[in-house]
Amino acid sequence: MKTWKKLKENPKLWDRYFVREKVLRETRNFFLKEGFHEVETPLLNPALPPESYLEVFETELIFRDKTRRRAFLTASPEMSLKKLLAAGIGDCFEICKSFRNQEDRSLLHNPEFTMIEWYRVNADYRKVMEDVENWIYYLAANPDIQCHCESDVTSDEAIPSGLPRHFVPRNDKLQNSGILTYKNKTLDLTPPWERISIKESFQKYAGLDLDSHFDLEKMKKAAKKKGYKVENNTWEELFNQIFLNEIEPHLGNEGKPTIIYDYPKDMAALAKLKKSDPNYAERFEFYLFGIELGDAYTELTDWKEQEERFKNEVQLRKKLGKIEFDYDRDFIEALKSGLPDCSGIAVGLDRLIMILSGADNVADTLFFPAVELFS
Amino acid sequence: MTFNPFIGRIGVLVFIGVLILAVSCGKIHIHMTKISTSDFKKGIFILFKNENYQIVESTHVNPGKGSAFVRVRLKSLKRGNVEEFTYKSGETVEEIPIETREMQYIYKENEKYVFMDPKSYEQYSLSKEILGEQAGYLKEGNVYQILVNNEEPLSIRFPKKVTFKVVEAGEGARGNTVSSGAKKSVKLENGMSVEVPLFIKDGEMVVVDTETGTYVERG
Repeated sequence: MKTWKKLKENPKLWDRYFVREKVLRETRNFFLKEGFHEVETPLLNPALPPESYLEVFETELIFRDKTRRRAFLTASPEMSLKKLLAAGIGDCFEICKSFRNQEDRSLLHNPEFTMIEWYRVNADYRKVMEDVENWIYYLAANPDIQCHCESDVTSDEAIPSGLPRHFVPRNDKLQNSGILTYKNKTLDLTPPWERISIKESFQKYAGLDLDSHFDLEKMKKAAKKKGYKVENNTWEELFNQIFLNEIEPHLGNEGKPTIIYDYPKDMAALAKLKKSDPNYAERFEFYLFGIELGDAYTELTDWKEQEERFKNEVQLRKKLGKIEFDYDRDFIEALKSGLPDCSGIAVGLDRLIMILSGADNVADTLFFPAVELFS
Repeated sequence: MTFNPFIGRIGVLVFIGVLILAVSCGKIHIHMTKISTSDFKKGIFILFKNENYQIVESTHVNPGKGSAFVRVRLKSLKRGNVEEFTYKSGETVEEIPIETREMQYIYKENEKYVFMDPKSYEQYSLSKEILGEQAGYLKEGNVYQILVNNEEPLSIRFPKKVTFKVVEAGEGARGNTVSSGAKKSVKLENGMSVEVPLFIKDGEMVVVDTETGTYVERG
């Protein structure tokens, strides 16, 4: 049944869907109070940041005189925002739709999704960590965002008792300020959250000293010992496989959300290296209930390195058979003109809204999920 | 080295002997095919850590920068629990090929559900762990599709929808604590409870979705 019909039949479901508007409104309030500018940048672009791991939506812009230009739906507002930072706007954020093609057809993915991206100037990633903690705590402590969630069950999808646990409805809601319950698990969102470095997490959960495993052969040996297949793999693949299997399931699952920081430098090409240990770069991600919600960097301001990376990614896209396009020279120009020291983050709002509204999946927070539209 | 026909023949005989022995002991799974993560889909059976598992869910994970992974939720056919594992995209695993056989459910004995092949009268059983809560959908005498590998029954494929008689409909006063207003919990002939619209009465037939365990429509 289409969502609008479900809503018509069972008006109690509206509450869960209205969590989205409240999160958007309170997020704006939070950042405006912090003195940020809210900006809008184009969804339709002549060029995108070349990212080898994602596919884009291509379309065509046709002028009245029949001049044709290739155009792409944005995959992130990062380049536009950094041009504004170079121009001197100061702290700024944008809430916008972003688009990714060739993703899984699932209730957890939507090809167009809502993202917030914010940047702080003259700040490093530690300041953005504080922003994340304060912002999400602010949302969670807001009684207006409490969702007295109706389960997703409508007349044609009733839940019998005595069936598997995941069919049984849960009483997911924000109980009181800062305590969030989701899928029978509870997190205290009060800052500060758990902060753990990648290095510490490998030691703690995988029993591996990362510092002595930067060499591919050593990493292969360690991964093989753990039972992974290690044929023609890159260091990064082995790192990620251990991370995804042995570390990620713990993150944001032990009483507090987790901020995991300081990635091996090769896994954070757009982040500044740590002064104290240049094997690592200033990047962090944060997790609630094992779900990754955002990715942040102390931004690289070196235009040469940025251009180099773009060129590599353009080549890699070609090799992988992805839609080819050139990188944005205007963006490199903006970096050349001088990007202030800054730190920024992108957060997927749909997943956050899913958690705050107690929904099982992203589709249950959207009036018109793609799985329904394109079924 | 020259070929010694005597040792060669003995070698071949010994090899065949060992092979027969191993297969009869079930140590070698000769009924395997290699598949890649791109062939993963819900419902197929694979070998994971040398045990039989069924894929319950499979999603792609891209932690960024080119590397791609496939995260699967796997149901252990031995213990019935679900585990997670993340494969590198393109990794190969052994698929356990399955043939489907129609068998009649005859009875339950010591936590095992016993089925009979109506052609050979051969009996096969599935454990409580494998069937889980779905065991409630079994009706004695009915014929089901049993998924078999190498003469070993691994699982069962239920029809998407089954029809049951309501044995305790109540008056709708047993209001539900679950969700929307116009619902009540009724008891079915198999002992399961299901949430149905208020108009459903004692003795009526209702159709239940076997995957989600939810009411679909009047039978």
